[in-house]
Amino acid sequence: MVKNSGPYELLSDVIHKDLCIGCGACIDLCPYFKSYKGKTAMLFPCTFSEGKCFAYCPKVELDLDELSRHCFEAPYSADPLGHYHSIEISKAGREMGGTQFQAGGTVSAIMSFALKKGYLDGAVLTGREGLLPVPCFVTQPEEVLKCATSKYTAAPTVSALNRAIQDGYEAIGIVATPCQAQAIALMRSSRLDENDCIDPVHFVVGLFCTWSLDFRAFEDFIEERTGTESIAKVDIPPPPAEIMEVYLANGAKLEMPLDEIRKLTPESCSYCFDMTAEFSDISVGVLEGRPDMNTLIIRTERGQKLVREAVDEGYLIVDGIPEDAMEHLTWASENKKKRALKKAGDAGMINTPDAEKRSMVRLRGEILERIMVASQGCE
Amino acid sequence: MGSAGFNKDPYSLIITGVGGQGNVMASRVLGSMFVNKGFSVTVGETFGASQRGGSVMSHIRISEGSSWSPQIPAFGADIIAAMEPVEGLRVLAQYGNPRCTLICNTHPVYPVNVIKGEDAYPSLGDIKRHVKSLTPHAIFMDATEEARSLGNPILANMIILGALCGVGRLPVGHGDFREAIAERVKTDQVALNMRAFDAGIALLGR
Amino acid sequence: MSYLINGEAGSSHLLMGNEAIVRGALEGGVSVATGYPGTPSSEIVESLAGVAKERNLYVEWSVNEKVALEVAAAASFAGLRSMCVMKQNGVNVTSDFLLHLASSGTRGGMVLVSCDDPGALSSVNEGESRLFAKMVEIPLLEPGDFQEAKDITKWAFELSEEIRNLVMIRSVTRMSHASGNVRYGKLPDGKAHAQFDFHGSLLDQEKGPMISMVVSAAELQHGPQQEKLRKAAGIFEECPFNTYNGPERPELLIVTSSACNLYSREAIKALNLEKKAGVLKLATTWPLPRNVIKRHFALTDRIMIVEEVLPTLEENIKVLAAEMAPEIGIKTFYGKRSGHIPSVGEMNPDLVIGALSSVLGLKRKSMPEAFAGKARKLAETVVPKREMTFCPGCPHRASYWSIHNAIEMDNRKGFVCGDIGCYTLGMLPCGFSTLKTVHSMGSGSGIASGFGKLTQFGMDQPVVAVCGDSLFFLAAMHAMAIAVLQTSPFSLVSLDNSGTAMTGFQAHPGIAANAMGEEMPALDIAEICRAMGARVEKADPFDLEGTRKALNEMMEHREGAKVLILQQACALSPQRKGRKSYEMEIDEEMCLGEECGCNRICTRIFGCPGIVWNREKGVSTIDELICTGCGVCADICPQGAIKRREAE
Repeated sequence: MVKNSGPYELLSDVIHKDLCIGCGACIDLCPYFKSYKGKTAMLFPCTFSEGKCFAYCPKVELDLDELSRHCFEAPYSADPLGHYHSIEISKAGREMGGTQFQAGGTVSAIMSFALKKGYLDGAVLTGREGLLPVPCFVTQPEEVLKCATSKYTAAPTVSALNRAIQDGYEAIGIVATPCQAQAIALMRSSRLDENDCIDPVHFVVGLFCTWSLDFRAFEDFIEERTGTESIAKVDIPPPPAEIMEVYLANGAKLEMPLDEIRKLTPESCSYCFDMTAEFSDISVGVLEGRPDMNTLIIRTERGQKLVREAVDEGYLIVDGIPEDAMEHLTWASENKKKRALKKAGDAGMINTPDAEKRSMVRLRGEILERIMVASQGCE
Repeated sequence: MGSAGFNKDPYSLIITGVGGQGNVMASRVLGSMFVNKGFSVTVGETFGASQRGGSVMSHIRISEGSSWSPQIPAFGADIIAAMEPVEGLRVLAQYGNPRCTLICNTHPVYPVNVIKGEDAYPSLGDIKRHVKSLTPHAIFMDATEEARSLGNPILANMIILGALCGVGRLPVGHGDFREAIAERVKTDQVALNMRAFDAGIALLGR
Repeated sequence: MSYLINGEAGSSHLLMGNEAIVRGALEGGVSVATGYPGTPSSEIVESLAGVAKERNLYVEWSVNEKVALEVAAAASFAGLRSMCVMKQNGVNVTSDFLLHLASSGTRGGMVLVSCDDPGALSSVNEGESRLFAKMVEIPLLEPGDFQEAKDITKWAFELSEEIRNLVMIRSVTRMSHASGNVRYGKLPDGKAHAQFDFHGSLLDQEKGPMISMVVSAAELQHGPQQEKLRKAAGIFEECPFNTYNGPERPELLIVTSSACNLYSREAIKALNLEKKAGVLKLATTWPLPRNVIKRHFALTDRIMIVEEVLPTLEENIKVLAAEMAPEIGIKTFYGKRSGHIPSVGEMNPDLVIGALSSVLGLKRKSMPEAFAGKARKLAETVVPKREMTFCPGCPHRASYWSIHNAIEMDNRKGFVCGDIGCYTLGMLPCGFSTLKTVHSMGSGSGIASGFGKLTQFGMDQPVVAVCGDSLFFLAAMHAMAIAVLQTSPFSLVSLDNSGTAMTGFQAHPGIAANAMGEEMPALDIAEICRAMGARVEKADPFDLEGTRKALNEMMEHREGAKVLILQQACALSPQRKGRKSYEMEIDEEMCLGEECGCNRICTRIFGCPGIVWNREKGVSTIDELICTGCGVCADICPQGAIKRREAE
């Protein structure tokens, strides 16, 4: 187990090494850490040697067995898709009123349903101001749809969870990217929460993620091509298109090759081994070749129960996952995992022997070996 | 109160405090009292940037003859009036001597590092003990509290001035103060300043 | 100020050195006085402005020292007596015009007063103005006490008219800000009349045009200018303000001037050296009175020069001594060059005592070590230091809070260029160590504009400059002009506290009243910048989040110079002093003290003197005597424990 430290270690181990992805886990716990345009800043010196800022950071050190035991009561496995009960495909059901979603609308449907049923007293989502994704806390089901578009840059979403907990909410749902879900898992298993007997995080919906973009780099890139015209919507159509579509307020549409866009990925993402948000109750992503449907990974009992109820009450429609889609999903996830772990391994950031020196990830050697071997030929 | 002159020439007096306590005003009024009596007076002020939360100090030299240095040599003060206790100790340690008299307001104005919790401010008991280790002639009074009861804490400077003149080392008193204060403040403020001055003299008796 | 004009001739008054200079100027019949505020000079123009109406003067706080000297020169050209006043650094600003003026000469008596600040007690540096007198070849006078400050000023006008050139007076902080007895002379009656004559020939200084360069300037103008200086030197040989005190043949002769005269006299008395050492106090330090010096040097072998800042007097004296050596012999000198007098910092009696003791081999100690050691130890160990900080309720603290946070959040290694004013403290922890460059007046804006143009060389750090309202007109306006023209992408934050606050709220062009208190239309910084083509925003620095957002947004725009005006009056200003907007209170139940994740942000970081960390109770408390009720700290506390309530 990593020894807990404070803000200066967070600065030196993560922020100054450009490993911070700006998930927001350290934001709004104290007046010192702030997020601006996707980056995290420490405003003033702090004199505490230990802090939640460090304990919650998913980029400091992840002990995968520890997290997995906490979330799933099972050690971390070599399965490329993480721990799960079942994998299905899904889309919003009739109760969602035929809204047009960028993909299948599964996330909106499940959060709306949970709020409507009173399973949640609030939901942490990610909204958007212009190009900038911003954390957003809602308590009404109809507010969920406001946040229902894809974002391509990291957001400090976890900060809204920190605030909601301080405001006394006790059953909070959250839609999280893999890194954000890791932060939440750390928070829930945190060694700092001595007195909290209630776990206010009731339900975590993980989002698939292959990469995100550095906000400032993305903003500059777009601005160079669109000038002062404001942007109405951004979309990446499913493969094999390999483009990003930018819709302008004046009705024009610009297409940008994904190859160029991918260059704007922050360094931090290249170390990320988690495509399918493994530490969540359910994970949702696009479904290859079916823009109207999502891939849905059900990971926990709680996730299983909520999905079934949503289906029963007409909020969600599910179906079996086609074999080729399952194959593709596994291949993609395995590929990301292998690439990231190789990079981290080369940089000496896995299972560091010295207890004082932090590791990016810790996992059992045999599991690491199996991941690396199993994925041979997946390049 | 006081004889016609001093036992020493020049007689050296320091008024000290923190920016904003009315130090300069007190030194100018005191200086005028002696000029009006026919003495040759030199007043040196340390203010300027030190006004912003810093220590301030006025050196007053009183002579039968001519101008003197506006800075008193080390250990050369005959009497020190302090509007603030650690300033009293600070100045006593630099300019005092075992024959020097200290008149000291006990109301603290904390330095910024004390406010921040980085430095400790000595207790009044400790300050008194340290002062006594340097001179037996020390008088402490809560001039700020007395000034507040007169309606404005800034009057602490005139209370300390009253005590300074009342202690019997300076050949000036009530009437000289009235004449000097009238030159410096609006007519309707004279009576209030006189009350503060007299309150300072009265505090000596308590 | 009434005591400056009401006292009868012969009456004695306690005057500050600066006030003595004012009284001298009034007795000398000054009609026009100008200047730019700067410690320790400000009281001179201020006091003259206070009596302007009664004495029919024109007194101006100019936009900068160069313009101030030009305005005063116009009065002299029109036959009036005029004075221009500044601190040492101002002479650097005015030096271009000064050289021209010294070569064209003057008509009505004209005096330049420079107040130097040895030891930089209230300056960014300890500069030296005496060298300017030598450089531009004009006479320099240095009063050695308060009476002389008055008398020499009056005399300077006469001298100026006699030699038809500008005369410079140099004071120092311990002269300008110290006070002493001054016996008044008579104030002149009669009205001054101004007229500029220009119909004479180019070389006719009385009736011709005033032009600082004519054809063959070196011969036709430089020569006569030096002739004026020689005339002054002749007059100085008989000057009553050059005095000697001491034995006829001193073992050691101290040569000194200005406040050092008082320190030297004190030191001689303290060491009982009245029979051994003498003090030659010079009031005319450029050009030096050769014969006076020769007379005294002939009667001694050892000479100590006591002066502050550069060894100016020492070096000038040594030139004369070398020339006179065949007649008076070789002398031994002690001073800054020998190390007996410190090369930096201001002087005091103890330093002269030390120098005398060392030269004369004296062992005397003023205080036995038993006491001195105890006192020193107490001062070092018990007495807490008093660091400089912004006043309680100061808008600069709030402004820097937001500027600092905006820069940190922006996260692109941005930085702030500053310059001179109370806001220089922005380089210290009280200003959250925000300033990364500090130089001369208004220089932050020029430097920032320069940094902004380095994008061509790969520099992509956002650049911000801060500038006070008075300095905007003095210098930053010019930097802004070039920055707009060259589209230098920096953000100028105008810290507009509605006055020249550091030196005591003197008028400047942005204030709706002039030095003499007459109402004037104020110039609007925002409108000026907009007219130049800059994008301008305004914010209230007491709105911390609004200010931070405005600056963050401004830093995103890379298209050129931008201006953010933060307007909030100084806490010591007449409009705010003694008036609380809010009554502040800390809820001790809500304040978590050391337990709070905020880690005492209010006292440890924000550091307003109005909030005090109570060690015993482990909570923060408001010191109601000190708190000015600005209300800003309520927005700092993450617990909401600091409460504000509208004051009645």
